[in-house]
Amino acid sequence: MGSLTALLEGFATASQPEYLLYALLGVTLGTAVGVLPGIGPAMTVALLLPLTYSLEPTAALIIFAGIYYGGMYGGSTTSILLNTPGESSSIVTALEGNRMARAGRGAAALATAAIGSFVAGTIATVLLTALAPTIADVAVTLGPADYVALMVVAFATVAALLGSSPVRGLASLGVGLFLGLVGTDTLSGQQRFTLGVPTLADGIDVVVVAVGVFAVGEALYVASRLRHGPVEVVPVGGKWFTGEFWRRSWKPWLRGTFIGFPIGTVPAGGADVSTFLSYAAEKKLSRHKDEFGRGAIEGVAGPEAANNAAAAGVLVPLLTLGLPTTATAAVIVAAFQSYGIQPGPLLFTNNSAMVWALIASLYIGNVMLLVLNLPLVKIWVKVLQIPRPYLYAGILLFAALGTYAVNFVVDDLVVLLIIGVVGFFMRRHGYPVAPLVVGLILGPMAEEQVRRTLQISEGDPTALVTSPFAAAAYALLAVALAVAAVLRRRRPRVPTPTG
Amino acid sequence: MSRVTTDAAPREASAKVEEYVFGGLVAALGVFTLVDAGSIAATRDAVGARAFPYAVGVLLLVTGVAAVVATARGRLGEAEDGEDVDTGVRTDWLTVAKLVALLVAHLVLIDLVGWPVAAAVLFFGAAWALGAVWWEALPIAVVLALVVQVVFASGLGLSLPAGVFEGVPLLDG
Repeated sequence: MGSLTALLEGFATASQPEYLLYALLGVTLGTAVGVLPGIGPAMTVALLLPLTYSLEPTAALIIFAGIYYGGMYGGSTTSILLNTPGESSSIVTALEGNRMARAGRGAAALATAAIGSFVAGTIATVLLTALAPTIADVAVTLGPADYVALMVVAFATVAALLGSSPVRGLASLGVGLFLGLVGTDTLSGQQRFTLGVPTLADGIDVVVVAVGVFAVGEALYVASRLRHGPVEVVPVGGKWFTGEFWRRSWKPWLRGTFIGFPIGTVPAGGADVSTFLSYAAEKKLSRHKDEFGRGAIEGVAGPEAANNAAAAGVLVPLLTLGLPTTATAAVIVAAFQSYGIQPGPLLFTNNSAMVWALIASLYIGNVMLLVLNLPLVKIWVKVLQIPRPYLYAGILLFAALGTYAVNFVVDDLVVLLIIGVVGFFMRRHGYPVAPLVVGLILGPMAEEQVRRTLQISEGDPTALVTSPFAAAAYALLAVALAVAAVLRRRRPRVPTPTG
Repeated sequence: MSRVTTDAAPREASAKVEEYVFGGLVAALGVFTLVDAGSIAATRDAVGARAFPYAVGVLLLVTGVAAVVATARGRLGEAEDGEDVDTGVRTDWLTVAKLVALLVAHLVLIDLVGWPVAAAVLFFGAAWALGAVWWEALPIAVVLALVVQVVFASGLGLSLPAGVFEGVPLLDG
């Protein structure tokens, strides 16, 4: 029961007024950026990194965790109320939730999304609390070859399993790995790919790359095809606190949670896959099949819960193995590293107080988010209506500011602009940007582990696959890739509603 | 009004050319990686500092070529959609060029006249290029730039170059 005591101590830390304020700041910012199109949690965490150097790590990480959870809540508000489809992970919500809103049941759609996210977030955080220390105990015994295997699995799932084009995903990963190589090799001390430019000798800062591909790339891309005219928001109508609401929502919430959490943990495809699976399950089990596609509450409740549970699931490999499987998780790893902390199995022994305060803040943040998103949803509707010229001008300005604030040198802004333009073309041509960020952060770690493995084995490359754990990981990956290849050929398109 | 269209966006004639160029550049980056990796000195550990760069170079070369091949076979990438993206309209290159030019102006101006002016120029220019009314955007840009400058100088203890405002209380950290 050591972890329960530790968790209680974490609560004692996280409920100090100062930390409560940081958590509130985090979840509020997170909801805001989740609501606003064009900015996501990954970019927000990246932008705030330089500004939080003056805070102690626990405070900064509590803010980041709040942003991470908050972004999930805010995104659903946007997809339900805005007349245009949003991020892929919430597109199913857009499908059903937006229908509900237009049919005058917007309040019920928002409520089932918010309460479902709360239920799923809380249950998933309990599962995280229970599982993480155990997994960390196992993870301590893993050798470098096992880590290499885990990273290969992460690379393959992020790059090849997600997204519509495995080739483009892998190309994006390759670019990220390349950017990770630029700089001084830690083992031999020599410069690689710096072209003799002194700024590049220290490597390319993760903040600059993340802000470049997310903020600048996104702003340029949206600018190239901006939807002009006023922002159309569906008015929130109807009552939600009814018997039927609870009767039809609670089972999808629970099912969504237990679909989302394992998928987030594995990592077999992130939030996207979990929402689609949950949607399919609800459609199959529902007694109101005819309502699907025209505003079925189960079609909002399930996927929203799955989405949040998957987000919590992603924290399991992040905290116990140091493996990020989404772009936001990758930026959070960068945040840990900037404080000289390496997330991984030793986190629970070396930084026990901090990690438990972080987990406790997730519980607290979830409660705050429920309050922020249920009674206060009207405020977010206002935020949603910010005129787009100012929104994107602001994104560009803060992208430039966040980058400049890393080192206060103009050279970083040149790198930012170049990476922003690359991000623009990647969006135009269906190259996902998440693998780039994951590759940039995991690449140097993977290289180190490969070299360590081969140092131990005295150059024998079979050492990479002979450990039982690594062999099992590669076998599972092969199965997953094969299944994905089959599914890709048979995957039905998302139904296209008209009207 | 139709939504959630998948392939209905009109493809511009230049899209295919762009895809060839992008795939080609990925492959070219792969070649560069492979060539430049050769100049890295071999080290004493078993794998050395070269092995990983070689692997990355191969990955880039293979995926770049594969993207070019896929383009030739007519399998173009799906442009990303988003809440504010109108997939039905033609690319507005002029606005993109304006924004890039503004970012360049911003980074040049920081050292010349200081951050507040450079920031106001960037925000005002970008908002204007994206369709805001200039007499509304201008005061917002000036106030925003000054507020951020003050917050940085006094609150965060990180001072942005004040430039023309050097020595002004509050603005110069």
